[in-house]
Amino acid sequence: MSTEDAKLKFQTRGVHVFYGDKEAIKGVDLDIYNNEVTALIGPSGCGKSTYLRCLNRMNDTVDGAKVTGSILLDGTDIYDRKVDVVQLRARVGMVFQKPNPFPKSIFENIAYGPRIHGLASKKSEYDAIVETSLKKAGLWNEVSDRLDEPGTSLSGGQQQRLCIARAIAVSPEVILMDEPCSALDPIATARVEELIDELRENYAIVIVTHSMQQAARVSQKTAFFHLGEIVERGHTEQIFTNPREERTRDYITGRFG
Amino acid sequence: MTDTGQRNDWASDEMQRRIARRYAADSRFKWYGIGAILLAMGVLVLLLGSIIVTGIPGFTQTQVRLQVSFDPEQFGGSLKGKTPEEVDAAIAAADFSGMIRTGLQSIFPDVTQRRDVRDLTDLVSSGARQKLAQIVREDPGIVGSTVEVWLPTSDDVHTIVNGSMERDVAESDRRLNDKQIAWLETLEKTDSIRGTLSSDFFTGGDSREPEMAGVWGSVVGSFWTLLVTLAVAFPLGVLAAVYLEEFAPKNRWSDLIEVNINNLAAVPSIVFGLLGLAVYLNVMHLPRSAPIVGGLTLALMTMPVIIIAARAALKAVPPSIRAGAMGLGASKVQVTFHHVLPLAMPGILTGVIIGMAHALGETAPLLMIGMVAFIVDIPGGISDAATVLPVQIYLWADSPERAFVEKTSAAIMVLLTFLILMNAVAVLLRKRFERKW
Repeated sequence: MSTEDAKLKFQTRGVHVFYGDKEAIKGVDLDIYNNEVTALIGPSGCGKSTYLRCLNRMNDTVDGAKVTGSILLDGTDIYDRKVDVVQLRARVGMVFQKPNPFPKSIFENIAYGPRIHGLASKKSEYDAIVETSLKKAGLWNEVSDRLDEPGTSLSGGQQQRLCIARAIAVSPEVILMDEPCSALDPIATARVEELIDELRENYAIVIVTHSMQQAARVSQKTAFFHLGEIVERGHTEQIFTNPREERTRDYITGRFG
Repeated sequence: MTDTGQRNDWASDEMQRRIARRYAADSRFKWYGIGAILLAMGVLVLLLGSIIVTGIPGFTQTQVRLQVSFDPEQFGGSLKGKTPEEVDAAIAAADFSGMIRTGLQSIFPDVTQRRDVRDLTDLVSSGARQKLAQIVREDPGIVGSTVEVWLPTSDDVHTIVNGSMERDVAESDRRLNDKQIAWLETLEKTDSIRGTLSSDFFTGGDSREPEMAGVWGSVVGSFWTLLVTLAVAFPLGVLAAVYLEEFAPKNRWSDLIEVNINNLAAVPSIVFGLLGLAVYLNVMHLPRSAPIVGGLTLALMTMPVIIIAARAALKAVPPSIRAGAMGLGASKVQVTFHHVLPLAMPGILTGVIIGMAHALGETAPLLMIGMVAFIVDIPGGISDAATVLPVQIYLWADSPERAFVEKTSAAIMVLLTFLILMNAVAVLLRKRFERKW
C-alpha cells in the first residue's frame, strides 16, 4: 500500500445530485486525503458547495434532493442505510459561509457538540475540551477571560474561528469549509488561512472558495468545477501554473467566471 | 425627447410648475395621513371617555349610616361561646330587616304608616341584611350591643345621589317619591350619606341588585376558562407548529393543512360555540356553563392563531442556526428543542398572549355553551358554573335597572384593563427578546 492510499479519506465515484428534476452535479469522481487541504474552485452555481454538502449528508435536509453514486469514507459508503448520519456529521465537521455561532455563551458554543455526543461528563472535562479547541482555533488568548459572553458578541473573524473551534471540539476527522472567509475582512481572512494551514496537520480539510489566491495559498490539491462536473483536478501548484484544460486556464486567469 | 443631445431646461416654467405640484402632492398626502390618525384617535378618545365617565360611579357605592342594635332576642340569646354551626343557625333565623327598620325609625320617629315604613326601608339595599349577617358572623360577641354601621343604599338612592338621575323632576318621572327624597335630604344634611369605593363590586359575584353586583365572580370565571384554554391550546398549538415547520415534508398534504389552519383562524367564533355545544355538551356530557367547556371551546378558536404565530416565529429563526447545529451532528429533535424552539419562544409567547387576550374578550361561543347564566357564587374550579367578564358585561347591559348602566361601563373598564395588561406584556416580551441576526 502506497502512502497516498494510506492517507485516502474520502473516495467519491460517479456522484450525482438532483434537486427535483434539476441535475446539480453530473458524475463527480474525487479523492480527498488526510493532512491535505483540498480546494474546490469554480464559478457560482457550478455545484462545488452541493458536492461539499454531500460529504456530511447535509443535502439530506433539503427537500427533494437526491444523491446517487458512491461516497466512501475510510472505505464505508456514507449513504449506506446502516450509517448513522448523526455520527457521520460528528466525524465530518462543517464550517459555513457566514459565521453562525449559537446565540449562547462562547463556552456553550464549544461545549454543545461534546455534550450531545456524550464526549465528556464532568465540568473539568468540558473545561479542557473548550480550552484545547479554542487554542487550536487560535482564539483562546482573545476570549479566555470572557467565556460567559455570548458568541455573537465577537467580531466576524472571531466568530468564524469560534465556529471552527466548535467543529474541532467533537474531534472530527474531516473538516468541510464552505467559503469560510467570504464574510471576513482581509486581516481576519489571513488569520483563518493560517489556522487552516495549522489544522492540516491533524485533519483532512475540504474548502470551497471563490478566491483563486486563497486556493493557491492554502491548498495542496485543487479541483475545478464547472457546470456540475470536474473539469480538472490535481496538485494545486500544477493547476495554477500549468493547467491542462483551456477552461481551467481561462477561469484562473479571470477570463470568465 | 428622443434627442439625447438636447439639454433639459430645469429652470423652465413648466419644470417649476411640476416641482411645485410634486411638493403639493407630498404635503397633501402627509396631511391625509395626519387627518386619518387624528380621526381614529378622536373616535378612540370619545369611546374610552364615554366609558370612563359612565363607568366611574359604577366603582362606588352610596352608603347610609345607621345605629343598629343587635337585639339578643333575635339571636336566641347571646352568641358568646357558641359553635360556628350554632352561630350560623342563629344568623339564619334573625330578622335583620327588622333591625334596619328599627335603625331607620330611630332617625325618623314620625314615620309609622305601613306604606311609609316600606318606602323608608326601600332606601336601604336589600343586600344590607347580608352585610349585617356578615358583621355578626365575624364577631358573634357584638350581639347585645348597638353599633354604628354604614350600609349600602338601594340603587335608586345611589343614582340620585351621584347625579346620574335628576331629583328635580316630577314625582312620576323618578324612582323615588317626594317623601323618600325628603328623607334622603334629611340624611344628607346630617352627613349620614356617603359615597365610597365599592368593595362589593370588586369582591362580589353577580346580583339582581346593582349596588351589590360585582365583577369578581366573572373575573374568576374568566381566569378558570383561560387556564383551560391555555393548558389545551398552548402545547397543542406549539407542537403542531413545530411539527409542520420543522419536521413535516413540504408537499401537497402540508399545503392543504396550512390552508385549512388559516381558514380555521378565520371561522366566526359563534361556529366554534356551536361545535362546543354539539361535542362537549351533547356527546361528551361535560357540565354545562362550566369553565372547562368554555375553555375547551375557546381553545379550539385560539389554537389556529397560536399555530400561525408559532410558525411565523419558528420561520424567523435563521436557517444558519439549524445548519450549524446539524453540522455538529445534532439530531432533528435536538436542533429543534436545543436551538430553534428556545429562540422562537419569545415570538411564540407573544402570539399566545395575543391569542389569549382575544379569547378573554370572546362572548359569542360562550353564549352557546350556557356560560350566559346568572351566577351568584364565585366559581371554585373548572367544573363549577361560571360566567366570564364579556358575558357579564352583556348580561348587565341587558338589565333594566338604571344603575346597571354604570356597572356595565365599570366592568368594561375592568376587562379593558386586563386586555391592555396582557398586550403590554406581549409588547414588552417582544422588545426584551427581540434579536438582530
